[in-house]
Amino acid sequence: MKPVYITSTGWHLPGPAITNDQVESVLGAVNGQPSGLRTQIQKANGIQTRHYGIDANQRTTVSNTQMAVHAGQECMDRAFRPIHQVGMLAVASTQGDHPVPGLASFVQAGLGMAEVEILTAQSICSSSMMALKGAWLSLRCNEHEAALVIATEMPSRLLKRQRYEAATESTFAKKTVDFNTEFLRWMLSDGAGALLLETSPRPKGLSFRIDWMKGWSHAHALPTCMSVGSSGKADEERTWQDYDTYADAEREGALLLRQEVRLLDHIVRLGVDGYVRLVQEGLNVPSEVDHFLCHYSSHHFRPKILDMLDAAGVGIPEEKWWTNLYSRGNTGAASLFIMLDEFVRTQNPQVGERIMCFVPESGRFNTTYMHLTVVGNDGR
Amino acid sequence: MDGDIAIDGVPVQKAAEAIGANDVPELGAHAQDALRRLLRVWIGFERDLVTVPLLRRLDLGTYTLADHRRLLVNLRQQVVEGSRWIARAASSMDRDHSELRSMILRHAVDEHRDYTMLEQDFVNAGGELETILNRGKNVGSEAFHAFMMQRASQPNPVDMLGAMWIIEGLGERMATGWAMRMEELCEREGITRFMTYHGANDDDHMQRFYAMLDEVCTGSEVVERIEMTAKVVARLYRLQLEEMDDE
Repeated sequence: MKPVYITSTGWHLPGPAITNDQVESVLGAVNGQPSGLRTQIQKANGIQTRHYGIDANQRTTVSNTQMAVHAGQECMDRAFRPIHQVGMLAVASTQGDHPVPGLASFVQAGLGMAEVEILTAQSICSSSMMALKGAWLSLRCNEHEAALVIATEMPSRLLKRQRYEAATESTFAKKTVDFNTEFLRWMLSDGAGALLLETSPRPKGLSFRIDWMKGWSHAHALPTCMSVGSSGKADEERTWQDYDTYADAEREGALLLRQEVRLLDHIVRLGVDGYVRLVQEGLNVPSEVDHFLCHYSSHHFRPKILDMLDAAGVGIPEEKWWTNLYSRGNTGAASLFIMLDEFVRTQNPQVGERIMCFVPESGRFNTTYMHLTVVGNDGR
Repeated sequence: MDGDIAIDGVPVQKAAEAIGANDVPELGAHAQDALRRLLRVWIGFERDLVTVPLLRRLDLGTYTLADHRRLLVNLRQQVVEGSRWIARAASSMDRDHSELRSMILRHAVDEHRDYTMLEQDFVNAGGELETILNRGKNVGSEAFHAFMMQRASQPNPVDMLGAMWIIEGLGERMATGWAMRMEELCEREGITRFMTYHGANDDDHMQRFYAMLDEVCTGSEVVERIEMTAKVVARLYRLQLEEMDDE
């Protein structure tokens, strides 16, 4: 099997950086009423600035496809390989611009990549890792010499005020506080990240060798935690397409993005479970990891569980955690790629350093991990 | 809502401040291995508890006072019988394990007070004292108790640490996660004192537990036995919670 390297990165963050106080003027105050939960949720997630692909009138300024294309172009602008020598395009997102066909087709057209193999991965945060693993294995198996992997996310269109105003028969409209429906409104924002994979390292500068990728999903054991498509009402089994009209589904709140907040603890704990499992399987040697890039920041983990990891000899010292979540926002699937891009450009990684990446997805509890080694142009 | 969002049961701001605040013990390699295994058994146990019907109702907000009485009436037998297997485990420890024996005995004293508190909670929740006093074990409690007595009767049953890990862990979860939610949904106070009583001195408990683990984990065989007992206890505890007989 061939070694595979991340040889270039790029991102696209639309529009200006939006501060906490500006967020509601972009997404809009529902029925003209400021939210009573916004400040509390923002304080808890610690995010300071983020970006949106909609303007203050909630009009789309850039599509999800266009963000992916911009990130892909930036990544290829920094690469030594011309785009016509890239044989595969893998694209991940929670929701493309069209329900069908898959987003990769549109991004391929936008980038003008002729006759490439395409892969669309659709889930939530971990869809990026699904697309990346598909591309990584294709290169490992010598199917292609290079693959462009792009993760892009545009939740602003789901979170704008008009969505909530139209849901007149939803749990959101019926309650004074509907934490589960409002939680993600103040968490997520837009952006795209791109990685170029090749079977040889960059001729100049640094590359990341992908050493392994692993994932475990716990959907067999746990209920849905984050979703769009059902109303969130007790005993309602219909999903959005089962209503007579899409208008009915929207009115009932079946098109709103929801998080069952009480279940959220489990994704953090299951993330720890996979981390320890990797230790037991001999893949994860925490003492040899130099940087820990996690889609959640360390403050989301309970101190007791972090202390326990320390006691068990597999802790991660605070100085090894690195994230740009607080300045770039939580961009879901795109977040790890956006993190890797800024990390390589600003953190001065050294040849031989090892990086552990972790992307949990609360949707139905998927945990994904990747291990990278920083290499020079000789691949070592 | 108290102004903070709890992730993993702890308000995040508080969690951020507490990182690295506690003393972390230096454990031997076998004890570290045991702790990693126990951590995974615990996380799996908590994951699988989510789908236990009675507990799922806590998440969904449909948990009622009748559910609470049903929970207490089904827990009592295990708590009562707990004193028996704890005492048995203590008497199975020889002189080389006297430290462990003392710890277990101290624990037995606490347990003894537990079930009278539980009975009072049941009465406060609108139940008749007679009902809870005359209650036998459910299917899960029967299996749970039989296994605990069998393990406690072995010479030097150090694997009881695995059982303690699960039972104490759940006690802490009851105190920090369930109790407040139960009182909130049942709109009644004084029905979870048995659960909250367990929450005290948690950090001391952990430090003592680490010390014991370090002492008994002398090889991989012991570690595997501790893990196995933790796994069985987790499974049987869940069975007990799934097999909730009617009040």
